[in-house]
Amino acid sequence: MKKIFSLFWRNKNRWLIYSALILITLLNLLPIALTALVSFKSQEDVIRTPPVLFPCDTPTQSFDLNACRWSLEGYERVLAPRPSPDSPFGFELTGTMIATYGLNTVLYATLSSLLVVLLAATSGYAFSRYRFRGHRALLTAIIAITGVPFLTNLLALYQMGVTIRTVGLPYDDRLFIIIVYVGFFLPLSVWIAKGFFDAIPRDLEDAALIDGCSSLQSLFYIMIPLTRPAMIAIFMLTFVGVWNEFIAGYLLISKNSNKPIMFGFFDFLGQSRINLQVVAAASVIIALPVVILFLFFRRSFFMAMVEGSVKG
Amino acid sequence: MKGWVDFVLKLHDMKKQKWFRNSLPFWLILPTVITLLVVQVYPTLYTVWLSMQDREPAGWIFVGFNNFERLFNLGQFGESVGLTIVFLVGHVLLTMVGGFFTAFLLSQKIHFSGLFITLLFIPWVLSQIIVGFMFRLLVAPEYGVFSGILLDPALFPPNGLSVLVAPPPRPWFGDFPFPTSAALGLLILASTWRALPFATLLILAAIQMVPLEVIESSRIDGANGWQIIRHIMVPLILPALVVVIFNIILNGINGVGLVLSLTDGGPGTATQIISYLLYSIGWSRIQFGRAAALALIMAVVNWILIMGTLRVTRVEERDI
Repeated sequence: MKKIFSLFWRNKNRWLIYSALILITLLNLLPIALTALVSFKSQEDVIRTPPVLFPCDTPTQSFDLNACRWSLEGYERVLAPRPSPDSPFGFELTGTMIATYGLNTVLYATLSSLLVVLLAATSGYAFSRYRFRGHRALLTAIIAITGVPFLTNLLALYQMGVTIRTVGLPYDDRLFIIIVYVGFFLPLSVWIAKGFFDAIPRDLEDAALIDGCSSLQSLFYIMIPLTRPAMIAIFMLTFVGVWNEFIAGYLLISKNSNKPIMFGFFDFLGQSRINLQVVAAASVIIALPVVILFLFFRRSFFMAMVEGSVKG
Repeated sequence: MKGWVDFVLKLHDMKKQKWFRNSLPFWLILPTVITLLVVQVYPTLYTVWLSMQDREPAGWIFVGFNNFERLFNLGQFGESVGLTIVFLVGHVLLTMVGGFFTAFLLSQKIHFSGLFITLLFIPWVLSQIIVGFMFRLLVAPEYGVFSGILLDPALFPPNGLSVLVAPPPRPWFGDFPFPTSAALGLLILASTWRALPFATLLILAAIQMVPLEVIESSRIDGANGWQIIRHIMVPLILPALVVVIFNIILNGINGVGLVLSLTDGGPGTATQIISYLLYSIGWSRIQFGRAAALALIMAVVNWILIMGTLRVTRVEERDI
C-alpha cells in the first residue's frame, strides 16, 4: 500500500486532491452523522414540521448553541436501564434489544466465527498441502456453492427445521442457526485460508517434520501462528457477517427469546415509524461494536476483503 | 521368535502410521464437507426438487415445469427483472465511477491516506438493514432530515417530492421501468453507498500494482494524464475491474435486507427487485414451489457470474 503516484498533478494542485478527498469523506459519513444526530433528539424535535437539522433554535434565533435540547430519550427507551442493587454497576439494562437479542447475537457471532476459523484452517491446510483425488473438483465445488443465493437455501433450511421438530428429534434454535451461519461463511474462508497457507514456504514445515513434528502439530504450532493475521481476518469477517445478518435469523429461529439483534432492530423499525429517535439510537447502539472492531482490526478487514473477493 | 513378533508389531505400527498420514487430509476436510453438505448442498438439491412441486392440501405433488411457467406468466416477474436490470446498471455505474475516482485520488502522493481509507470504509461494516433505515431517515415522508427541502413545491414542482411515496414516472420504452421512480433511485444510492468502500479498496489495490515505469515512460512519450488513465491504467487493471463488477452485481442481486428496511418493495411494486420478489413469493405468499423456481433462476445467474470471475482471475494459475 505504499507505492505512490505523483505524475498526474503538479504539487501546487495538491490541495485539489485533498479537498476532493475531504468532500468525498464528508459525504460518505453524512448519513451516519445524521443518524447519530437524530438519535440525540427528543420526540418533540423529531416530529416537527418542517424538520430542523439541529434542535437548537429558539423563538428569536435560528441557532443558539446554549439553547440546544439534546436528549438521551432514544437511548433510554432502547436500553431501559433500571436500578438494581445486585448488579456491579448499580443498574441493569432491561431493554430486550440488549438483554436478550444482543446477548444472543454475541453468542452466535463468537461461536460461529471460532468454528469457521477452525474448519477453514484445517481444510485450507489440507487443500494447500496435499494432493488427493478430487482435489480440484472439491475446491471448485466449494466456490460454486457460494453461487446459491442465501434466500434459496433458507427455503430448504426452514423446512429442515420444521421436519426435525415434527419428527421429535432433539432440536435447538441456537445450535441450528450457528451451524447454518458456519455453512454460509465457510466456503469463502476456506479459500482465504488456502491462499495464505499457499504463500508459506514448505521448507519451514519440512524442517519441523524432520525434527519429529507430526503434520497436525505443524498445522497448529507452525502454520496457524504464521498465518495469524489471516485467521484474525477470517474471524472478523465472519463475526461482522453474522452480527449484520438479518434474514436467516429472522426466518429460521422460531423462539422469540433466541432471536438475534437484527431481528430486534427490524421489529423496532416496524413498530415505531414515528419514534425515529428511538430507532436511530438503536442503530447507533448496534453499529457501534462492529465499527469499533473495524477500527481496531482494519488491516485484517482489508486483507479479508481483497483475498475473499478475487475468488468470487 | 520374539524378534519376529517385534518385527511384525513394528511393521503394523508403521502401516498404521502411514495409513493415518495418508488419510489425514480426508479427516481434515471431512467436517467442512459435512457442514457444507447439510447447509448448502442438500438445500440446493431440495430447491431443485421443490421447484417442480406444488403444495396441495394432501401434500406435495409433482407439477413438472409448471412453476416456471406460472412464474414467467406472472406480470410481476417481468417487471421485477426490468427493475433489477435498471437497479444493477445504475448501481454498478455509480459504484465503479465513484470507486475508481476515489481510488485514483487515494493512489496519489498524499498524507493521511490511511485516515481517509479508514473513514471511507465505515459504511462497509454496517448492516444492510441499518443502512436502509439511515437512508429512510433522510427522506421519511414527514419527519425526514431532507423532507423540508424535498417537499418544497418551488424546488420540486408541482407538489414537492416525497421519495418513498412518489409513483414511478411514465416509462419511455414500453414497460421497461426507465426513468426510475424516486424510491428506486434512493435504493441505488443506498446500495452504492454501502458498496463503494469495497470497490475503492479493490481498485486501489489494482492501481498500486501498475508498474510505475510503464506510466513514467508513457509520460516521457508525451501522453497526458487522461490518456495515461484511458490507455495505460484502465487496460492494465481491467481484470480487477471485472472482478469488482461481478462482485458488486452478485451482492446487488442477492441483498434483500436493504430493500426490506428502506422501501419494503414500495411504493406499489416500484422497488420490487428480484431478491425482494423471491422473499415475497416465498415468505409472504408462502408459495414455496414458485419461490424455488425463481431461486434456481437466480442461482444460475450467480453461477455464471462466479465462473466468469474465476475465469478472469485465472485461479488455475494461482494453484501450486
